[in-house]
Amino acid sequence: MASISIKSVWKYYGDTPAVKDLNLECLDGEFVCILGPSGCGKSSTMRMLAGLEHITAGDILFNDKRINDLPPKDRNLAMVFENYALYPHKSVYDNMANALKIQKVDKATIDKKVKWAAELLELSPLLDRKPLELSGGQKQRCAIGRAIVREPELFLFDEPIAHLDAKLRAHMRSELKIMQRRLKTTMIYVTHDQLEALSMADRIAVMRDGVLQQVGTPSEIYNQPANQWVAGFIGEPAMNFLDCSLTESNGHLHLSHNAFSFALNAEHIAKLNGSAKEHSQVHMGIRPEHVTISARATPEHPIKGEVLVTELLGGDLLVEANVNDTRVTIKTDPDYIADMGDTCYLGMDTSRWHLFERESGVSLI
Amino acid sequence: MKDQLTEAFVSTKAIFRDGGLVIDAPAGARNAALSNRFYFYLMMPAIIVLAAITLYPFFWLIYMSLHTVDLGLADDTWNNLKNWTRLGRDRKFQEGWWLLLKYSSLCMFFEVTLGVMIALILNRSRYEKILVTIFLMPMMMAPVIAGLVWYYMYNSTFGWYHWLMQSLGILGDKSILGSSSTAMIGIVMVDIWQWTPLIILIVLAGLKRVPRDQLEANMVDGAGDIRNFFQVTLPNLYPFLLIAILLRFMDNFRFIDAILVLTGGGPANSTKILPTYLFDVSFSFFKLGRGAAIALTLLAVTIVLGMILVRVFERPSSTRSNSGGT
Repeated sequence: MASISIKSVWKYYGDTPAVKDLNLECLDGEFVCILGPSGCGKSSTMRMLAGLEHITAGDILFNDKRINDLPPKDRNLAMVFENYALYPHKSVYDNMANALKIQKVDKATIDKKVKWAAELLELSPLLDRKPLELSGGQKQRCAIGRAIVREPELFLFDEPIAHLDAKLRAHMRSELKIMQRRLKTTMIYVTHDQLEALSMADRIAVMRDGVLQQVGTPSEIYNQPANQWVAGFIGEPAMNFLDCSLTESNGHLHLSHNAFSFALNAEHIAKLNGSAKEHSQVHMGIRPEHVTISARATPEHPIKGEVLVTELLGGDLLVEANVNDTRVTIKTDPDYIADMGDTCYLGMDTSRWHLFERESGVSLI
Repeated sequence: MKDQLTEAFVSTKAIFRDGGLVIDAPAGARNAALSNRFYFYLMMPAIIVLAAITLYPFFWLIYMSLHTVDLGLADDTWNNLKNWTRLGRDRKFQEGWWLLLKYSSLCMFFEVTLGVMIALILNRSRYEKILVTIFLMPMMMAPVIAGLVWYYMYNSTFGWYHWLMQSLGILGDKSILGSSSTAMIGIVMVDIWQWTPLIILIVLAGLKRVPRDQLEANMVDGAGDIRNFFQVTLPNLYPFLLIAILLRFMDNFRFIDAILVLTGGGPANSTKILPTYLFDVSFSFFKLGRGAAIALTLLAVTIVLGMILVRVFERPSSTRSNSGGT
């Protein structure tokens, strides 16, 4: 097992930086997801960890040992590729046995390990098949099998389930998580799918344009996003952002939008820590599930809006409403009945909003 | 060409069937039938031309092989398969086959080995494009000219190749073509010089198609460069090597120009590979019927070898990528 630390790592392709000053720690046995949109540098990071890409600057340490210049074969890690990268001319068995054969492990041990992995991944009846004769899910399990028979110190997964259909993907998510818990191997998993990251990882590292935005547990990333970009990237449907300003009247701080105004409570003010003045222009962010909707004005639903469209998603109903030319998405019960053009009243859970500085997007509350 | 046409045919059909264009199935089927006929008409001119220049001569060849053909002086006469039965007793014919196989195998072995090695080097070179152009030059030369150039290089009085080999003590006073024990090597070298570039070209194209993630997966699995070559690169190159070897095989079976210039089949018939003998029979002795029979044996063996090669190499896994899909 290995702990990994990435220290001030840079990656340039020609003059284009792909990874900028990345610092990331990964504890022994931890499942870390690197999450970000395509082109954010997550795959470059993984390839540098695997030794497939030269590190332009900085260090990568495995168990406090610098491995920058070690070739992939000496790093004792296993990688699962996005396109599986199975050897098409070899059977499933030989694909899985490949690494052990290279290590010159004796035949009986190879056989035992491959059979064990096949059992774990339910591949036993398919061991004689060629990759072309496998379905997507089977190929993917074969690729994982190839990785686990080696019992490496580190697993690298590069969007391994991106090509599976939705149902199989959900199944594989839980399978992977169970497998990682069972093997207790350090795992770094790259994905652009927030659902994968949130559901599987111990910790998530969110990247954008080569820069690490935030590292934290799934709930930290979801509930306390470090900036507006992370807040908008995580969560489906995306967080609502409203242009607001912080104003002071009668000695009270107010958050004002052109349709409403809230007084800030003591907790908010404490978090703002007196910086309200410099940050009078803010974005208020609130997730659709923290906005409530009602057909009639009540003290809890003071903000008037107009229903634009509704979307029924089985157990949830998404309502998109227009509040003084700002679009707000609300996630509510499917029994709420609304038609296009209906007047509605919205309430916001003031304990769940976020304030972001409008220019920089830095989180204030 | 014929194959391409059939393929186009089949794929058009597939588009109509699988492309999701068809909403009303019966009408779609009618459409498909209509278009197929339309495509068939489009192909007719090509089919007619092909038939005229390949099928007609082919049947004419069979006809000739069954008759005594006397170049128009007398009528062709049926000779009770004499052209064929004579082949069984014809020592030069059997020798010709043996020499042809020896010649082809030697050429193929060195050309493929050298071609793959040079292609691997070029593939990693920064100056790939320029170097490929330079390497391709021998291939652009007419085989007769190539033969002549080497003929002079081999010359024991002023040829620089002969001078070099003599200086190194490898050759004596006699030219490499002058002795029946070395003449075969001489003509093989010309073939290697001229046709290795073709292998380089095809293998280079193949190398571009070797999936990078498979190479990387193997590296992560712990393979070094050499193992990676044999485990990933080479299997992925099989279809390309097949094309190269097939092309060279067919070339060698009709190879004659450079040999005629270099040795004319000598000395002491040591380089009289079958196509050269065929040339002698048909166009020196003008035994066209017997020549036709020899030509047909060549054709038959070419077809059989081609089929074996396709069978050996056509493992489904090596011709298609395994990426993606569910």
